[in-house]
Amino acid sequence: MAHGNRESADIVTWAKAIAYAAIVCLFALSGCAKPAPLASPGYLQIDLPTAPTAIDPRVTADAISSRVAELIYDSLVRIDRTGAFAGDLAESFERPTPTEMVFHLRRNVRFSDGRPFTARDVKFTYESILDPATLSIKRAGLVELAAVTIVDDYTLTMTTRRPFAPALALATIGIVPRDSSIPGKAASPAPPGTGPFRLARFARDEAVILARNPYHQSLANAVPGLALKVVPDPTVRALELSEGICGFAENDALQAELLPYLAAQPHLRIVRSPGSTYHYLVFNFRDVRLRDLRVRRAIAYAIDRDTIVASMIRGNARVATGVLAPENWAYDGNVTQYPYDPAMARGLLEAAGYSAHARPLRLTYMTTPEGLRLAEVIQAMLRRVGIKIDIHTNEWATFYSDLRNGNFDIASSQWVGIGDPHQYYEIFDSHMTPAAGGNNRGDYSNPRMDQLVEAGDATIDPVVRCAIYRDVQRLSAADLPYVSLWWDDNVAAFDRRLTGFEPYPNGSLLSLAAAVFPTENRLVRTAP
Amino acid sequence: MTRQFLRRLAALLPVALGVVTLTFALIHLVPGDPVSAMLGDYAAPADVAQMRHDLKLDLPLWKQYGGFLAALAHGDLGQSISQREPVALLIREHYPATLELAGAGLAVAIMIALPLGIIAGADAGGPGDIAAMGFAILGISVPHIYLGPLLMILFSLDLGWLPLTGRGGFAHLVLPAVTMGTALAAILARMLRQSLVRIGSADYIRTARSKGLSERAALLRHGLRNALTPVITLIGLEAGGLLTGSIVTEMIFSWPGLGRLLMTAINNRDYPLVQGCVLTFALSYVVVNLITDLFYRAVDPRIRLG
Repeated sequence: MAHGNRESADIVTWAKAIAYAAIVCLFALSGCAKPAPLASPGYLQIDLPTAPTAIDPRVTADAISSRVAELIYDSLVRIDRTGAFAGDLAESFERPTPTEMVFHLRRNVRFSDGRPFTARDVKFTYESILDPATLSIKRAGLVELAAVTIVDDYTLTMTTRRPFAPALALATIGIVPRDSSIPGKAASPAPPGTGPFRLARFARDEAVILARNPYHQSLANAVPGLALKVVPDPTVRALELSEGICGFAENDALQAELLPYLAAQPHLRIVRSPGSTYHYLVFNFRDVRLRDLRVRRAIAYAIDRDTIVASMIRGNARVATGVLAPENWAYDGNVTQYPYDPAMARGLLEAAGYSAHARPLRLTYMTTPEGLRLAEVIQAMLRRVGIKIDIHTNEWATFYSDLRNGNFDIASSQWVGIGDPHQYYEIFDSHMTPAAGGNNRGDYSNPRMDQLVEAGDATIDPVVRCAIYRDVQRLSAADLPYVSLWWDDNVAAFDRRLTGFEPYPNGSLLSLAAAVFPTENRLVRTAP
Repeated sequence: MTRQFLRRLAALLPVALGVVTLTFALIHLVPGDPVSAMLGDYAAPADVAQMRHDLKLDLPLWKQYGGFLAALAHGDLGQSISQREPVALLIREHYPATLELAGAGLAVAIMIALPLGIIAGADAGGPGDIAAMGFAILGISVPHIYLGPLLMILFSLDLGWLPLTGRGGFAHLVLPAVTMGTALAAILARMLRQSLVRIGSADYIRTARSKGLSERAALLRHGLRNALTPVITLIGLEAGGLLTGSIVTEMIFSWPGLGRLLMTAINNRDYPLVQGCVLTFALSYVVVNLITDLFYRAVDPRIRLG
């Protein structure tokens, strides 16, 4: 018995030891963590769905990184809320010849570390991007740039290789100080900029904290800083907004299904504005069946886009007529339209020699897991007219590889941030096929289209250019290399006390630089 | 003992080699390309070719593999293609968060499972058993993606006791740890209960009873130690799973761990980063299992390290 008691005591001691070890382990682990608040009081918290991969404007690639970078870095010109180019670091600019742009720079501008800004910084930034060692995504966008020449400290010229109408887009890259290290080789994740904010802290996958640039003029009562916090889960982002922990979120950070819940919160304001993100279906012209215009038109007529926008997207979009949204200066809505008409679709298919029983049309539809719901809806709609769709979903990288290699019959995708109609050259010119490294992913070819989009690029006169793109829009709607689906609305949800936010069609957060948010806000609620 | 331990440590090498080889082959075989992901839609073919050359992606696969192994032998995991930082630095930044979460999840699981399993095992068929096993079934059935937000709403939003998301001090750790640990606690408690019930019919327990001990005392004093052996096996297996399976919890609680880093790396086809993350996970798994073996030895001296 004595032995039994000793053993039981051992067991109890041992079990206790495990439990105590677990508790100690829990506390020790938590003790390793730094109990630091996210940001200083008064900062406006903005929730982001994914983390920015880079801050340096020479290498930013994804939309979120670009949104953050433009809060820190000014560029020579900027696209304003109407989609037009406006001076930023350039006080004024002119185009004396079709291949030359002259920029007159603002004086007394300083980077956030106090260094003065001059034309040499601009030249350095562009040379740095063009240096192959930088491995910059933006190098490809500068293919038309022949030279950047300094005239004096506050004047410089940019020369293009040929008359290139959208050349001002070349001047929208954020400027870094000369002698900034190559991205990834520097101690800091980002050099200083001349924009309204400076990078105060970059916690990868957690948050980006931006404080005011002391050398940038701002309103006395404007927000002292921004805390851009990475919150991957959409429900949690909605909870943070509803509880006042987060002060602002927009577009990808807001799930359409959760918008009614957010709209019901009395302290939140939902602002919708027209956006330019364009959703489409692309046809593969390598497939002989899809080269038949009747088949493409049948598919366009068989898709009820009004219902999709009203139900799936809950009205947070507009049914699209083409790549360019109505706010674009070159937009023309007087094009062939394809309202939902299954009878018309069946007739066109029959005329093309397809019938649901004798010779059904069977196509592969490539999409991502996020696009699966739309694919299933389109599958059901096409089934009604006798077209069978096999849906293939792959994660983004595989889908993108298939898309770029033309490995699809139909694919759904989107174009983000379209400003200049030059985009038509990128996606519909027959020289821009995937084999040539271009974005004409369906191998669409029409000599008339080539002629138009190439003329659109070479014509500087905006009136003539506008007429050219009117024809481009009509031809693309008639020829149907894409079925236009919808343009996303920009949706922002924010605390009612926040004033000064102005939505941009491309989703830019720039207006938050002048926003005012009461300092007694509940920015970061910490545990008692 | 030390020799046996060192032998087990040395066995890590072929495991690591197998893992890196498999990961290297898989990530290179699936479609997708880091250069396309990095240079984007508008890259000129010449730039794409140049970058493939710079990153040595134009070399035959076996040469890339050889180069990767040679660098690894020097402790160099390479440079992340998408994030432009050394892979080792990125792993160093993210791994402590994952380790912290998995460790805390395990601690929570043990703290819940031990009393629940003992109550259920000692009172098999009784109200304690029904209540404890009811909790266990609930714990296994509720997925992290539902439990996490539920705990957030209750403890962060309604009661205001704990922060909602992010990594910080002890308070930040509680909800993700409970989310991670609950399902494991349920599994462990069920295992402990089954083990105690099985041992209840063993000869030595019958002997203890015949010596005058009550049913419960005989089981707890003489049976618990043996009942814990399979539980520890399970803890070892599940602890590795906690390390590698924390991605959902990391997403819900905005926890900057290795799982999220790996997901981003896979999406960007960031080969060096994927390889580095998988290698870290695999080695962690093996080390955790080694630690489990050591625990066995402490619980049951008859077990020797193989």
